Amino acid sequence: MITPLEIVKKKKEEAIDRIMSKGYLTKKRVYVGMATCEIAAGSKDAMAVFQTAKEKGLNIFISQKGCAGRCNLEPTVEVVEEGKAPVKYGKVTKEVAQKIVDQHLKKDEIVKEAVIN
Amino acid sequence: MAAKKIYPQEHLHDRSQHIFGDVNFFSKQMRITLRNCGIIDPENVDDYLSVRGFEALAKVLAEMKPEAVIAEIKKSGLRGRGGAGFPTGLKWELTAKAPGDERYVICNADEGDPGAFMDRSTIEGDPFTVVEGMIIGGYAVGSSKGIVYIRAEYPLAIKRLEKAIEVSRREGFLGKNILGSNFSYDIEIRLGAGAFVCGEETALIHSIEGARGMPRPRPPFPSVSGLFDKPTLINNVETWANIPVIILDGADWFSSIGTAKSKGTKVFALAGKIKNTGLVEVPMGTTLRQIIDDIGGGIPGGKKFKAIQTGGPSGGCLPAEYLDTQIDYESLAAAGSIMGSGGMIVIDEDSCMVNLAKFFLEFTQDESCGKCTPCREGTKRMLEILTRITEGKGKEGDIEKLERLGNMIKKASLCGLGQSAPNPVLSTLKNFREEYVEHINEKKCRAGVCMSLVSYEILENCTGCTACARVCPTQAIAGEPKHLHKIDQKKCIKCGICYKTCKFKAIKRG
Repeated sequence: MITPLEIVKKKKEEAIDRIMSKGYLTKKRVYVGMATCEIAAGSKDAMAVFQTAKEKGLNIFISQKGCAGRCNLEPTVEVVEEGKAPVKYGKVTKEVAQKIVDQHLKKDEIVKEAVIN
Repeated sequence: MAAKKIYPQEHLHDRSQHIFGDVNFFSKQMRITLRNCGIIDPENVDDYLSVRGFEALAKVLAEMKPEAVIAEIKKSGLRGRGGAGFPTGLKWELTAKAPGDERYVICNADEGDPGAFMDRSTIEGDPFTVVEGMIIGGYAVGSSKGIVYIRAEYPLAIKRLEKAIEVSRREGFLGKNILGSNFSYDIEIRLGAGAFVCGEETALIHSIEGARGMPRPRPPFPSVSGLFDKPTLINNVETWANIPVIILDGADWFSSIGTAKSKGTKVFALAGKIKNTGLVEVPMGTTLRQIIDDIGGGIPGGKKFKAIQTGGPSGGCLPAEYLDTQIDYESLAAAGSIMGSGGMIVIDEDSCMVNLAKFFLEFTQDESCGKCTPCREGTKRMLEILTRITEGKGKEGDIEKLERLGNMIKKASLCGLGQSAPNPVLSTLKNFREEYVEHINEKKCRAGVCMSLVSYEILENCTGCTACARVCPTQAIAGEPKHLHKIDQKKCIKCGICYKTCKFKAIKRG
């Protein structure tokens, strides 16, 4: 008989396969904070910018995330790329999000003024 | 294996630094409850599964008898994170052993403290963790029914929790014969209308039953006679979120963190006059100073630290000499405050402690359910005295009266709301007594907050720059450019904007 642990392990492997098939390891990953606090600070606008860029053909992996607790710097966005140090951006308005798209995601140039150190 | 590649660390806790670039803020924290918050997509079960989600549940169902689960939680030393700090494992054991054929499990998500958002963030950032913790709790105490009591003013948290419950049912983590075992369990959500008192467990239970949200005397405790008079296990969101980690990373590991009597970590909502406001999770035993200076980044604008208030509206205000107090249930209580559910407000020299105490008492007085007289009448009388003092009508004997009333309310109230409501007043009376004396005897408010006790006038060194006249909302300041200005005291509402605007220190606050 299959045990509960085996069921969960199998589910986990399937889940990881599904995440991988979305290009988890091969694309730049963009995480946008979408908790109540982040949304109130304007993260839906930032999210819209990234989604529009993706629809227009930019090859990125977008995910929402909960609140990491950086209240005064919200909305926050992380850009993670396999093998590179993650970059965390704070106060990501529509304009900053567009800069992240144009510079970081398209040209690998980090938008320094918006990085949280 | 692919999993190894994504998450090189196999333990559950503390993966935040690995994901975040923001090292200064996170490296001084330890994340157990918030381990997945801000990391995974809260609405995608694949994300939760890939961080070993539901593995603790599977382990429990496959390898542990209910008694063994309870023993593990007892061994971990976990205590209730709602604020009272009752040993969680003992509560589970009492519920499991209580006679009765039906048992309930409740998650208290009625987070009512103004300025506190630990539970909301946990549910919004990682709802599956709470669900998994509750299923394990249900298995341990022999329940088939879990209820999340959450306030209706948290719509996004409710939506994500609903989704998590629905997906858990679909995936076989909830419902009949969970993961092929003979354990069946389901969870439903009940919405609260937002009364502060409904965070108290007996009032919460009454509210679920459809009765008015009022507490009742204990015993009997809910573990023996709770919801619909059945044995009921009720824990806070943060407590539930710790459970899967304890099961997978082990009680021995968990109990190695913290102080002698308080184990694990605590989440705080850091707010007030601090550079990095936010949610912080630190091991028990961290000092208040470490939180303020190292994680919070200190007080902005070069202002001086005055006090820190822990534990929400019914916590105490601690001055600078208590900054090296370790954070645990006993140390905070000994210092004259409480752990509470995790509110933490930093106060600088711009705040008047009398006014602050009045503000918190206004809240608790308003939220008093009215069932017991000490809380209903006592807080009202205390508020009247405080209001009088801040209006410059304080009298000899007011301080003593406040102390007498406060101590009486603490001792005689029915539930935690009343028993803790006088804390802000009593602690400020103890630590900032001179401010009360000044308000009463000298009719002076040193922070310039109590409007009736403040007046503004323009000094001779006024350059006539007109800046104050331009910002005055009631046009109370008159004067020709480059000539001395004057405030019309009848029109002045004492808002202090002119005082803050003047660059020449030409406005005197008296």
